[in-house]
Parts: sequence; structure tokens; C-alpha cells
Amino acid sequence: MALVRNILKQTVTYKLFKSILVNLIDFMEVMGNITTCTIEFFKSLFKGELDRKELIVQCERFGISSLPITLSIVGMTSVIIVSQVAQEMVKQGGGNFVGALVAVLIVRELGVIMSGFAIISMIGSSLASELATMRVTEQIDALKTLKVNPFGYLFAPRVVAGMLMMPLVVIISSLFGILAGALTSDLAAGLSYRVYFESIWIGIFAKDLFVCLAKAVCFGAVIALISCTFGYYASGGAKGVGIATTRAVVWSFVAIVIIDMLFAIAFFF
Amino acid sequence: MSIEVKKLVKAFGEKKVIDDVSFKVNDGEILAIVGFSGSGKSTILKLISNLVEKDSGEIITSGGDIAFVFQYSALFDSLTVFDNIAFALHERNDLRKKYSEKQIREIVNEKLGLVGLKGIENLFPSELSGGMQKRVSFARAIVTEPKVILYDEPTAGLDPIASTLIEDYILRLRNETGATSIVVTHQMSTIQRTADKVIMLYDGKIVFTGTPQELCNTDNEYAKQFVTASIEGPMHIIEQ
Ligand SMILES: Nc1ncnc2c1ncn2[C@@H]1O[C@H](COP(=O)(O)OP(=O)(O)OP(=O)(O)O)[C@@H](O)[C@H]1O
Ligand SMILES: [Mg+2]
Repeated sequence: MALVRNILKQTVTYKLFKSILVNLIDFMEVMGNITTCTIEFFKSLFKGELDRKELIVQCERFGISSLPITLSIVGMTSVIIVSQVAQEMVKQGGGNFVGALVAVLIVRELGVIMSGFAIISMIGSSLASELATMRVTEQIDALKTLKVNPFGYLFAPRVVAGMLMMPLVVIISSLFGILAGALTSDLAAGLSYRVYFESIWIGIFAKDLFVCLAKAVCFGAVIALISCTFGYYASGGAKGVGIATTRAVVWSFVAIVIIDMLFAIAFFF
Repeated sequence: MSIEVKKLVKAFGEKKVIDDVSFKVNDGEILAIVGFSGSGKSTILKLISNLVEKDSGEIITSGGDIAFVFQYSALFDSLTVFDNIAFALHERNDLRKKYSEKQIREIVNEKLGLVGLKGIENLFPSELSGGMQKRVSFARAIVTEPKVILYDEPTAGLDPIASTLIEDYILRLRNETGATSIVVTHQMSTIQRTADKVIMLYDGKIVFTGTPQELCNTDNEYAKQFVTASIEGPMHIIEQ
């Protein structure tokens, strides 16, 4: 019997199932951690533990320090699109729709998802490594022994800052993107600014703006929550900080794409 | 306030780090815990302060704050020395509005004076030496004048004078506020000068209990080996 079991354990099938099982358990654990942290976050909000001073600091970090990157990414995306399609559209008599095309792409999708990616790589990773460092150097334990709730002191200001600042970042970077599109269509296809800007409202409706902002709030909250959660549960020295950061970034990326998809299905299917 | 530990067990994975440990610290008493590196001393303190969850057993404390002085300081590295020490007064829900900023400044100054570090309020922890960090960490833990204090190697790595300062203050806190303390330490001077009782841990179990005098004079093989710092004896640090 033991021999059969040993041989069985050598097979690829066994190894495959085992690794799936390990990954599944790990997945459940992460989901559990995120759920716990989300609940504790809301509890600390209702108890009024949100630290105002920290909130302002985190808002600056989330909103202001990330702007250069988000602006340039969304702006360049717009330049890339326009320089490829503007000439052709004008040639085919669709010059009236260049502004509409850019606005729809940016407002519905690119502005918010590109900003999301930029925020994850800049802010999400730094949130995760910050909390992970605090964990492995026992600073989170110190918080607890000083009777300060880590969810009120660390999570609440970061997550609320994410929810408040992400829409702002998306609005500014989208406006910048549309502007960059106008400039490019003028240079690439000689399209007048008036035609470009008037055509924007062919494609954009109030609903689009609403969905865009709702997505931004969700993304901000989810990025901050996931990043903080991985940091909070980090363990094992410098290597643990690295692992937590990487996983926070990967999970955040996947999470916002999934949320984006759910929004698309719910509002535009 | 007293602390009573009954049949405490804690394992990390397969390894039982704390294995059926019981002891009691009476109100106002100072207990020293000694033992070799890895014998589970820090883990006991973390179990008592609820930072680590126990597997089984009982820990009875009669409520109130439990302060913790960490082995590796655990200072908040994004905050200045002042903000570190004032942290509980600024951020704890029940203390937030209790003191004016001026009072907080006075309290912090007083505590910094006690550990011999006046005038470093505006430095960051990374700008301090290890020993200075340790003393700031001590000041941070006692700022609320807690009734139970757990010290994890408060004098390790300090020069003899700084050690004496801390030892004096451990005693003074007890004499003035009746605080109950547990001191994890390797340092003979700290044991002799502060402790009322000593327990020694080895392999997750208590192998010696007695007074500091008894620790030096006993026939207990474990205690003898510890006091004489001998490689020969019942305890093996190096796995064989
Ligand atoms: N979070 C943890 N996960 C896994 N093992 C741990 C953890 N914390 C402690 N241990 C293990 O428990 C044992 C006791 O650790 P502990 O830190 O309590 O020792 P110690 O007596 O304080 O040692 P030292 O004198 O070096 O500080 C060690 O073998 C350590 O590897
Ligand atoms: Mg220790």
C-alpha cells in the first residue's frame, strides 16, 4: 500500500492536483484576509477612528504625487490612438467623429483603467511595502500594544484617500487625454479644434460620466484595500516584504480588470 | 494587578515553543524570565499581550493596559522621536482629547529626561543609535503609566550606565505606581537589581524558579550552567 502511494506521489497528475489544491487554499486564504480587512475597515469608520491628519497626508500621496505619471500615460495613449486613426477618418469623411471616438474611449475605458494601472504600480506597491515593513519590524504589534487600532490608523485613511482621490485623478487625466487628442488631430490631420470638441458630445452621455466616476471610486478603494491587506499579513523579513508587494500588485491588477468587466456587463451589455 | 499563566501551550507549525508553562506574578512584583536564545521568552510576552494567539491554557490578567517594550524597539520610523513617544496620547481614542498639546510636550520631555535623552525630539528613529532607539521605545511604552509592563530585553545592547538608568526606572515605576512587570533579560545586573523572582525557560518548559540569590547559589544544573555560561551542562544550544 505504501509502495503504491509512493509511486502515485511521483506522477505528474498527482503533482498537478496538489499544486492546484495548494493554490486554491492560498486563494481562499487571501480572499478571507481581504474580507476580514474590509469588515474591520468599515467597523473602524463607523467607530469614528478615521485619522483626519493621516487622511490629508494620504490624499496628497494618492492624488498629487501620482499625477505626473497618470497624466503622461493617459495623454500618450490618446496621442497613440489619434495619430493612427485621425488621418484615415478624415480621408473617409469621418473627421467629425474623431473627438467622439477619443472621448468615448477615454471616458468609458482608457482614462480610468490606465489611471488604475498607474496608481497600482506607484501607490499600491508603496502601500503594500510600507505596511509589510511595519509588520516585519513589529511596528504593527507596537500599534496594538499602544491600544491604537491598525485599521483606524493605517487602513481607514489610506482606503478613504483612495476613494476620494481616484475620481479626481481620473477626471484630470481624462481631460488631459482629450486635450492631447485635440492637439494631435490638429497636427496629424489638420482637424480644427472646434470640430473636435463639438463632436465629443456625440459620443458622451451623462451615464458614461457617472459610470466612469463610480468605477474610479471602486478602483481607488479596491487598490488601497488589497495593497494594505497584503502588507498587513506579510511575514518573514525583507523577502516577505518583497513577496507581499508583488502579490499586492498582481491581485490589484486582476481585481480592477474584473471590476471593470462587471461594470461593462452591468451598464453596457 | 497580577498576571497568572496556567498550562500555556503554543506551537509554531510542528514545533512546541511553549510547552505547558505555568507561573504567577503578584501585584507589584517584578519577574525576570531568563533562558537561551530561541527558548520562547519573547513568545511568552507576546502571548500575554495578545499579539500571538495561544493554542491552549489560560492567561489571567485583571484588565487594564499592558505595555510592551519591544526587543528590537519597533519605533514608528516615519514619525519623529517626539511623535513616537506622544503616540498613545495623540492617537488612542480614549486619550485623544485628554491632554493639551502643551501638557503632552511636558510629559514627553519628562520621559525623555528619565531615559537620559533630552533634546532629540525632532530626530527620526533612523538617526539614532540602537541603544538610543531602545530607550525611546521604553519611553514610548511607559508614557501612559501602565499597570502591567512587559520588557523584552530592555537593557540588552546598552552601555552599563544606560542599563542602570533603565533598571532604576523599572524599579521606580514599580515603587511609585505599583506596576507589575515581567522582564526578559540575559543581563545578570538587570536580574540582580530588579527582579523579585526568576524563572528559567529551556525547550519550552520552566526548568528553574527562585529568587535572584537562589539563581546564583542553587544546585539546579540548568541555573548553574546559565550563571557560569558553561557549554557543558543539561542545555544544548547547538543541535547535536
Ligand atoms: N511568528 C513565528 N513563526 C514561526 N516561528 C516563530 C515565530 N516566532 C517565534 N518563532 C520560533 O519560536 C522560538 C522562540 O522564539 P522567541 O522569539 O520567543 O525566542 P527568544 O527566547 O525570545 O529568543 P531571543 O533570546 O533570541 O530573543 C524560535 O525557535 C523561533 O524560531
Ligand atoms: Mg526574544
